[in-house]
Amino acid sequence: MAHFTDDEARGVIRDAYAQVRSSNTAVAAAFYGDHELAALPSAAAAMALGVGHPVKYADLREGEVVLDLGCGAGIDTLLAAKAVGPDGRAIGLDMTSEMVERARQNAREAGRDNVDIRQGLIEEIPLPDASVDVMLSNGVLNLSTRKSRVLAEAIRVLRPGGRIVIADLVLEEALPEDVLKSPAALAG
Amino acid sequence: MLLKKFFNVGFEEIRVLDRRAFALADLARYPLFSAEFLRFLAEAIPPARHAELVYSIVVTARKPAAMAP
Repeated sequence: MAHFTDDEARGVIRDAYAQVRSSNTAVAAAFYGDHELAALPSAAAAMALGVGHPVKYADLREGEVVLDLGCGAGIDTLLAAKAVGPDGRAIGLDMTSEMVERARQNAREAGRDNVDIRQGLIEEIPLPDASVDVMLSNGVLNLSTRKSRVLAEAIRVLRPGGRIVIADLVLEEALPEDVLKSPAALAG
Repeated sequence: MLLKKFFNVGFEEIRVLDRRAFALADLARYPLFSAEFLRFLAEAIPPARHAELVYSIVVTARKPAAMAP
């Protein structure tokens, strides 16, 4: 049983991510290598909120177009941009204006001009059909109350033969009802 | 359940490449969660589950080459 409407859930998550502040790299250090973090703006590493390292598994090639769903401050978008090189493109999509601005700032600081950060919903991806080679997402799909809709959008914007790599959290046993009703639990 | 959603929308070659337990203590790394919320979780969730609260997984899949946009 859903405890929040789509709009309620989206509002809670948007507020939580808009307000989040971090100056340490504890999350990033758990998933990314020192050499990767050293090449990124410190603010991108400090605002890593993912649950894995999807870029590591994406086998990105030069020239590919990559979409990072729910890019946050852009850590995976920037790693993807480096991997696809100047002939490729990394697009970051996030619904939170604060995260969009942070990701753009981090892309500028990293000197990546093959990065395109956009604001929008992962349930309504603002890209044409069959326009992306690889889709990434890191700790974001679980935030959506419409996961099948997100995946349907993913398959729409991927080119035939395109790949998706998603790092996410899954439950193997339901959480107590009190936790499920908690707005704070929605953000994680 | 999640993998079935990938299958249902048409993805193929669906694979889980990484799977690791996420403990309650791991959540403390995330600035999204307040100390108060973490205490609430610790009290609401049986201690036996604290070490394996959720699992982080990495899933890969491919859109069929023959699939129309």
